[in-house]
Amino acid sequence: MDINVDNRANVTIASLDGRLDFEAADTAQVKLRELLGSASGKALVLDGASLSYVSSAGLRVFLTIAKEAKAAGVAVAVGALQPAVQQVFDISGFSKTKIIDIQSTVDDAVRAVTR
Amino acid sequence: MSEMSTPGLTGISLVEELCLLAIEDDGSVASTAGEPAFGMGVVGACLVELCIRGRLDADVRPGEGDAGPQTILMTLSQEPTGEPALDAALAYVAAGPVRSAAEWTHQLFPQAGELVRKALERLQTRGVIEAREARFMWVLKTRRYPVLEGRELQEAKLRITEVLMGGTIPTPHDSVLIGLASISGLLRGFLSSAELGRLQRRIDEVGSLDLVARGVEDAIHEEIELRARGMMIPIM
Repeated sequence: MDINVDNRANVTIASLDGRLDFEAADTAQVKLRELLGSASGKALVLDGASLSYVSSAGLRVFLTIAKEAKAAGVAVAVGALQPAVQQVFDISGFSKTKIIDIQSTVDDAVRAVTR
Repeated sequence: MSEMSTPGLTGISLVEELCLLAIEDDGSVASTAGEPAFGMGVVGACLVELCIRGRLDADVRPGEGDAGPQTILMTLSQEPTGEPALDAALAYVAAGPVRSAAEWTHQLFPQAGELVRKALERLQTRGVIEAREARFMWVLKTRRYPVLEGRELQEAKLRITEVLMGGTIPTPHDSVLIGLASISGLLRGFLSSAELGRLQRRIDEVGSLDLVARGVEDAIHEEIELRARGMMIPIM
C-alpha cells in the first residue's frame, strides 16, 4: 500500500492507495504516525478514494491513529471512502462513533478538521 | 503488523483479561461466567487476539441469498502463539472450512470451558492468580482463584473506566475488551447499575470497534434469542 502526502494550508492530506490488510498495516501505521508527528498543531485528512480494501487489521490502524492524534492534539478526518470500504466501517461500528470523523469527500474532510 | 502491537499494558492477552475480570474479590468466579455470553465472549476474545497476532484476519463478503454481508475469518498463519488457549482456537479455525466470525463463535462455543481453563492456567503461570480448593456448604468442592497482587486486574479496570468516564479513545485491544466485558455482564463487577446506565451510550460507542468482535456479538445475540425462544415454547 502507498501513502502519498500533500499539504493544503494547515492540513496534511494522506492519500491511501491500495489494500490495507495485515501485511500492509504495520508500514501504514508507522508512516501515518510520522505524519502525525509532523502535523503537530495542524490537522490530518486520510483520503480513501484509492483505498480499495480494508481488513480487520486495517481498521485497527485507523483506531490507533485516531487515539494518537487525539493525544497529540491533531484533528483527523477520513474522506472519500469507496463503498466497499465504507461498508467495512459501517459493519465494525466506526461509522456510528464520533471517534473518527468520516466525510463523503476529501474537501468535506478538510472542512471538518479546520472548523 | 507486529504481533504485540495492541495488547493491554501488562501484556496479558484479551482472553486472559476477560477471564480475570470474571474473578470476584474473594477469588470466586462471577455467576455471569456461567452464562453463554461469557463463553462466547471468551471464544471471541481468542479470535480477536489471533487477528491481532497475525494468525487470522477478517474480511467482509456479501452474504448468500437474503443474508447481509458477513465477516469472514481467514487463516494467515498456523504458527503457534505459545498461548495455549489461543493455539487451541487457532487449531480449530485453521483445520475447518471458511466460516464467518459469528459461525466460528457458535462452532467453538462448546470448547469455551476448555479455553477458560487454559487461560486461567496461563494466569497462574504468570503469577497473576492462584488456584485454591475450597468447600461450599462444608461439602461441595469448589475452586477459587484469588488474585495475587491485583496489579493486572486493577490496571484493566482502570483502563476501562478511563475510556468510559474519561473520554479517551480506546486502543483496539481495550475497545474489544469493553465490548465483550459488557455483553458478558462483567462490567457489573466494578461499575454500579446507575453508572452502567449512565455510560451505556459510551459503551455502545467505543466497545467492539472491530469486525470480528461485531460478529461475535451478533452470535451472542442470536444465542440469547434462541434460548429465550426455547424457554417460551413450553408456556405457549
